[in-house]
Amino acid sequence: MRAPSSAVVAPTCEAVLGHDLPGLDEYRRCEVVDFVCRRLSTLPVHMRWGVAVIAFVVDGWRRTTGTNRLIALSNRPLPLLGEYFRLLRSLSIAYVWETWPDTRPDGRAA
Amino acid sequence: MSTTDYRCDVLVIGSGAGGAPTAALLAEAGLDVIVAEEGPWVDQGSVVPFSLEQMDRQYRSGGVTVALGLPSVAYTEGRCAGGGTEVNSGLYRRPPQEVVERWRTNWRIDDLDPDAIDVLAREVESALSVQPLPGPAPAPSERLRLGAERLGWTHDESPRWMTYPTGDSRQGQRQSMTRTYLPRAMSAGARLMTDCRVDKLRLGADRVEGADVEFTNGRRATISCRAVIVCAGAIQTPALLQRSGIRRNIGRTLAVHPTVKLAARFTDELNVPDDVPVHQVKEFAPDLSFGGSASHPGLVALALLDQWEDFRDAVVAWREIAVYYAAITSQGRGRVMAVPGLRDPIVTYHLTRRDRALLCSGLTRLALLMLEAGATDVFPSYRGAPRVKSRRDLATIEDTFSATRASVMTVHLCSTVPMGEDSDRCGADSHGRVHGFANLYVNDASLLPDAPGVNPQGSVMAVALRNARHFLAEGWSRV
Ligand SMILES: Cc1cc2nc3c(=O)[nH]c(=O)nc-3n(C[C@H](O)[C@H](O)[C@H](O)COP(=O)(O)OP(=O)(O)OC[C@H]3O[C@@H](n4cnc5c(N)ncnc54)[C@H](O)[C@@H]3O)c2cc1C
Repeated sequence: MRAPSSAVVAPTCEAVLGHDLPGLDEYRRCEVVDFVCRRLSTLPVHMRWGVAVIAFVVDGWRRTTGTNRLIALSNRPLPLLGEYFRLLRSLSIAYVWETWPDTRPDGRAA
Repeated sequence: MSTTDYRCDVLVIGSGAGGAPTAALLAEAGLDVIVAEEGPWVDQGSVVPFSLEQMDRQYRSGGVTVALGLPSVAYTEGRCAGGGTEVNSGLYRRPPQEVVERWRTNWRIDDLDPDAIDVLAREVESALSVQPLPGPAPAPSERLRLGAERLGWTHDESPRWMTYPTGDSRQGQRQSMTRTYLPRAMSAGARLMTDCRVDKLRLGADRVEGADVEFTNGRRATISCRAVIVCAGAIQTPALLQRSGIRRNIGRTLAVHPTVKLAARFTDELNVPDDVPVHQVKEFAPDLSFGGSASHPGLVALALLDQWEDFRDAVVAWREIAVYYAAITSQGRGRVMAVPGLRDPIVTYHLTRRDRALLCSGLTRLALLMLEAGATDVFPSYRGAPRVKSRRDLATIEDTFSATRASVMTVHLCSTVPMGEDSDRCGADSHGRVHGFANLYVNDASLLPDAPGVNPQGSVMAVALRNARHFLAEGWSRV
């Protein structure tokens, strides 16, 4: 297993963004998800592997239980899983406000 | 893939605060020096300081690296010509005399004279044009000063390695290694090979013969030399030594200055996106110190993230917000472990109970400082944090803070190959020669026996100058 594939990361990242920043338009959301996937592929090897495993498990959970339960899971302070969601959120949030500083708190463009 | 051979007298691995001055001194003494640097050359001014683009181009792994533990400690390393000196805040502190004295006695370091280190520090200050701001400090810095003054806490302005050609404080030019020691090294004949990662050292019985390197474009080569000086930083130096089969007292005693953060909102637009405050509060130093962080809007949003549901409304007011940190001198230690087959080392860090308590009291005091400075809202960065609006709310931090819920991070890494004559604990001798090897040296932050309790680059450089001169005086003739 090498880099976490964007096929398993992107849907989770989109779901989390859709919940945290519901007003973010689709074009921007795609750009953020692209950025997050690119960043995950440059993590140190062991982190990349760890993230790939967790991303795979989380994606499976999302497919079987749906987005609402995924979001509930993402808000629980679980070891490792919690770190994964935190990583997705920090990369996304940093990118959104660095790229479009006047974004509203719900993700809408100013 | 072709194999090219290079030859030199001395191979210096890494071009940061340790490597660049080492290369300059050796080249100026007439040695044939190659500097192998894993990262690219990035002209200053071609990237916005503290931006994500800078992280992509000048940091290792885009700045997302973590020392595993409870809590994990996020850390960053520069990975470019000039190393950490290109991306850091440029805040200079002279190595404290009492710290040097402690290193000398506790780690049995020969010839480590605090006065001599002081002289070397002055040499660094002059080479890097270390100076205070020529005019007023940025507003977030002034707030820190004001808060400290109102509380009667000791504070000062940290000078920086900057020149101010126009006399304007906001237009400083960072005197990092690509502007100072690296040009010096190159004009004395040193060859700087960027995008060139040293994979492994080639070892003989008690000697190093050279190194295997790989360029970013996939080309591999071998560099043969009479001596190697590893200056790859406190994470990569022990990783490289371990990958090469050298493990004794290597990578077992990582020391850092862990920090926790908060965002403080004021009533005016004080945010300066591309610079950092220069004031530091030293009332509780060396255990605890306070300062300001980079605060562009992305970083403000990050500081609010841990309690996003409650704090996110504030993000629209990022112009009124600045981010500050509380840093501790930790008694914990960490490890760097190169694992066969893995390109990157695994890093761990363990905070002691005292460290966690200190992080809590640090964050509480920092919040108090911000209130005194005029903040209307303070947003501590940990899960479950309260929005602090008055002194009454400070008790809630003490009740709810736990290091495992906080975003703990560090940019000061050292002590993974401590120097000294105590061969049970030290990985290198008093001048950085790796125990058991005649011609293999370390000369970077790894050598500092513990975290200095102040911004470390000045200490790293003073020690590097000392050791490079010792190498020229005694080491070189023996290799
Ligand atoms: C964001 C940030 C802010 C900081 N702020 C301050 C501050 O304000 N004041 C202060 O005093 N200190 C600060 N520091 C710390 C300071 O930058 C470091 O203490 C100092 O740079 C350490 O010097 P070094 O030579 O050990 O390592 P570095 O300067 O990191 O240099 C190591 C170099 O080796 C290269 N390298 C690594 N592995 C290999 C390999 N295998 N082959 C070839 N090359 C390799 C790296 O790419 C890097 O360029 C900061 C650091 C960071 C990251």
